[in-house]
Amino acid sequence: MSNVVLEKVSRNFGKFSAVSGVDLRVNEGEFVTLLGPSGCGKTTTLRMVAGLEQNTGGRISIGDRVVSDAERGLFVPAERRALGMVFQSYAIWPHMTVFDNVAYPLRVRRTPRPDIRARVLEALRLVEMGDYADRPAPALSGGQQQRVAIARALVFEPALLLLDEPLSNLDARLRAQMGAEFRALQKRLQITSLYVTHDQEEAMALSDRIVVMQAGRVLQIGTPEEIYQRPLSQAVATFFGSPNLLPATVVACARLGESQFELSVRGSGWAGVCRAREAAVKDATVLVMVRPENIRLVDRASRDTGGSIILSGRVIDSSFHGARRSVTIDVGGSLMKADLPAMAPLSELVTLNIDERTAWALAS
Amino acid sequence: MERSWQEKAECANPARSFASAKPTGAEKFCARPSLIELAENLYPQQVNMAISADERVEDPGRVPFAAGLRARLRVLEGTAASRTAGVALLVVILAFLSIYPLSMLLYGSLHSTPPGMAGVFNLDGYQAVLTRQNLVMLLNTVGISLAKTFPSLVIAVLLAWILARTDTPFRGALEVLVTLPFFIPPILTAMAWGMLGNPQVGLLNQLYQWATGSSNSPINVYSYGGVIWHMMQYSIPFMFLLIVDAFRAMDPSLEEAARMCGASRWRTFRTVTLLLILPALSSAAILSFIRGIENFESPLFFGSPAGIRVITTDIYDSINQRSPPQYQYATAVSFVIMALLLLIVLLQWKLLRGRNFTTVSGKGYSPTVMKLGKWRWATFAFCVLFFAVTVVLPVGQLLIGSFFKFFGFYQWDMLTLEHYRAVFGSSEFWRGFGNTMLLGLAGASLTMVLGGVVAYISVRTKWRGRMLIDVMAWLPWMMPGIVLGVGFLWGFALLPHAIPIYGTIWALLLAYISLGTPLSVQVMSSAYSQLSYDIEECSRVHGASWLQTMRHIMIALAWPSFAVGWVLVFFGIMRELSASVLLYSVGSEVLSVVLLKLWTNGNAEQVSVIGLMMIVLVVLFRWVQLKVIKARISTL
Repeated sequence: MSNVVLEKVSRNFGKFSAVSGVDLRVNEGEFVTLLGPSGCGKTTTLRMVAGLEQNTGGRISIGDRVVSDAERGLFVPAERRALGMVFQSYAIWPHMTVFDNVAYPLRVRRTPRPDIRARVLEALRLVEMGDYADRPAPALSGGQQQRVAIARALVFEPALLLLDEPLSNLDARLRAQMGAEFRALQKRLQITSLYVTHDQEEAMALSDRIVVMQAGRVLQIGTPEEIYQRPLSQAVATFFGSPNLLPATVVACARLGESQFELSVRGSGWAGVCRAREAAVKDATVLVMVRPENIRLVDRASRDTGGSIILSGRVIDSSFHGARRSVTIDVGGSLMKADLPAMAPLSELVTLNIDERTAWALAS
Repeated sequence: MERSWQEKAECANPARSFASAKPTGAEKFCARPSLIELAENLYPQQVNMAISADERVEDPGRVPFAAGLRARLRVLEGTAASRTAGVALLVVILAFLSIYPLSMLLYGSLHSTPPGMAGVFNLDGYQAVLTRQNLVMLLNTVGISLAKTFPSLVIAVLLAWILARTDTPFRGALEVLVTLPFFIPPILTAMAWGMLGNPQVGLLNQLYQWATGSSNSPINVYSYGGVIWHMMQYSIPFMFLLIVDAFRAMDPSLEEAARMCGASRWRTFRTVTLLLILPALSSAAILSFIRGIENFESPLFFGSPAGIRVITTDIYDSINQRSPPQYQYATAVSFVIMALLLLIVLLQWKLLRGRNFTTVSGKGYSPTVMKLGKWRWATFAFCVLFFAVTVVLPVGQLLIGSFFKFFGFYQWDMLTLEHYRAVFGSSEFWRGFGNTMLLGLAGASLTMVLGGVVAYISVRTKWRGRMLIDVMAWLPWMMPGIVLGVGFLWGFALLPHAIPIYGTIWALLLAYISLGTPLSVQVMSSAYSQLSYDIEECSRVHGASWLQTMRHIMIALAWPSFAVGWVLVFFGIMRELSASVLLYSVGSEVLSVVLLKLWTNGNAEQVSVIGLMMIVLVVLFRWVQLKVIKARISTL
């Protein structure tokens, strides 16, 4: 019942279209992340779900209730949607104690006083802030304010929890810790969550599914694995890390399974097999996406290893990163990046092997 | 197990989800006014449709009585109609406080007789303005203000630097002391200096004659120097208050970078520090210059006796000192001073546009404090000297004056308490005191409420008409008290008899509200704009209505600014003289008017007594204000 459905949701500011035609379904208990560069419309989308902004097109439902429908002119304001929200700045009210902050949603709902106390302390305990109830809010560190904001958003058991870049104001170490803690809490309580971030690693680590947005449109919706390994477009592929994109021509195409095809392709000076989402005709041009970490060094002797792609090149740059070594290789005039094991022996001339299962063709 | 935590609550409160499923038309409009406003502009039909759609969704039969009542109350708090009515009411109030007196002035300057009397429209008033004497008057006005602004700026910078950036001892206490003169009503120091610097019997001249044995009187406050000196006592703390935060809040790494590049301390101060605070300095100087032009007390007390005319005293004289009063001329001159002020404001906008370096970023920098060594006692002495000259001397004069039988004759056998008895036994004093307190309390409260509403609408909403509201609230800022006084004088006289404002205490109250509104809007605007939108929206998302959010979040967070603004407006009312002296009538005198009357009658001794009472009040309120600021710093 607490699923969220967005149907063709749009938001225009005058002539500028901040969000256009977003379709999304968040299932009960699911953790979905809206991901994209700043200005892509992810925060606007979240605010429309919250009721802080009114969509100029489409329909939003929470549970089995339509909360906003542009055609019918229906709009339920934020305070009547019964949602929890964690703001980027946490929005901890500085004139209240921790307890008062968390109790606020209950007080405005006229919850009986003994109930308030029990539920606030329970919520604070959940975020491990039970001992801080009587502290004045400004006396908290960033991480603690974050926990209070989460407790406040959870205290009245909302149907849906909205989070607007809640980790972006924390330092790197705390960010990872808070992210993991929050994900564990979300899984335990099975709260449907809609999360906004511009950090792809955060999105991948936390989410059940990711919605990649750009310029107000949804580029792809999928699990983190899907989006990382089988992106729909070049834009999605390059948003996560910096993959190598090799231009190639299709030689043959074969169906592997449902929505998965195997393409034989030929590039400049190399040939091999890769996977694709859609069938391609012969002689069509594609871009073969190869993640740097999927490139392996092989001996010159063992060249013919089934369908995998073999390339030769010259190492022109190498930098050590502890667990791995980043290498830039000149392959017939174009540069490729490879992440190799740190201890791998490196000669000037190298032969690279790319497993066909990790090479992914994109329409060029 | 954690599931049950959630489910338990679901069961415990089944009504909650039911109640929250009932949208009403009213809530739509209090949701996020700015966007609704936008939507109204873009899609007028759709919003109208929205109302009817909501009405369709609403099923009154199923809503419990309490919820229905609550929904109806919400209609009151935020439908489009009630909002429009609210804005309209605000426009009417502000128009009455600013446009109405202004239009009265315009009418008066073009009409041969005051409003309501038979006469003809002509340009005689403006013709009378264009004389050679008035050119001198204009030059006097501008020249005096310039002559007091620059030395004041130098001293203010020096004080700000000493108190914000050096290790001078007792800086906290010194800061309170050097800003005190700003809060003392100018009429008090004017009278005190009139006694101190009197060329015949002034205390300073007596001391000089006693010390040197000569019979010269080197000090005469009834001169250009006296006018400028008296103005400076207010300009220095005024500018200090405006610039000291710029000194304090500067990012120290900007200066450290200059030092690392090899610049000496002095060079760093000249090329980095001073240039970074230049925008703050120039806007403080321009504000001070404007206040110099509007100033009434200094030229009235020290200029007029010496035949030095400025615009404000000329307006006063042509109404109060001439028979019959030259109304048309006075209003025409009023437009000259308003044009002058407008010119300066336009110049200021042009000058300061794009020059707002954000060195004051709200981050808690702790600026580097310069170690002065032995010299810190010199800077300490400088601050103490400033306090002594601007506060101890005049207050001491009032104290001495209040105990001696006759002003100027200080002998032991002349000591007396009769002035205290006379003042405390005088019904006029008590009436003035009562009126001042009443007007101060009511005026400051109403002004701050009005300013708070105007500021909220102009800062936090995108409602239609907010620009109009903003401009109207700012308009009185262009009108010196004496000009606004003339405008209201006629405005109130013209009102139908059913609205008895003319000649009552209401006239003063309305004038004070009008004069205080620009300040209160300023204070509340900056308070609101410091609060992030998240803080307001967070409350809405978590279930609070617009009114609840206002009460629990916005007002709760802005009240320290409200209190600070309230005290400032109260001070403003307590010191106000120029509008009061035109608008009072028997029974509605305020303390400053009582003082002026006593002074004109030559009763300097009773003036001293009342002055001391007022100083006690000022110190009391200033102390409360500082307490509030301190409490605010510790909670935010």
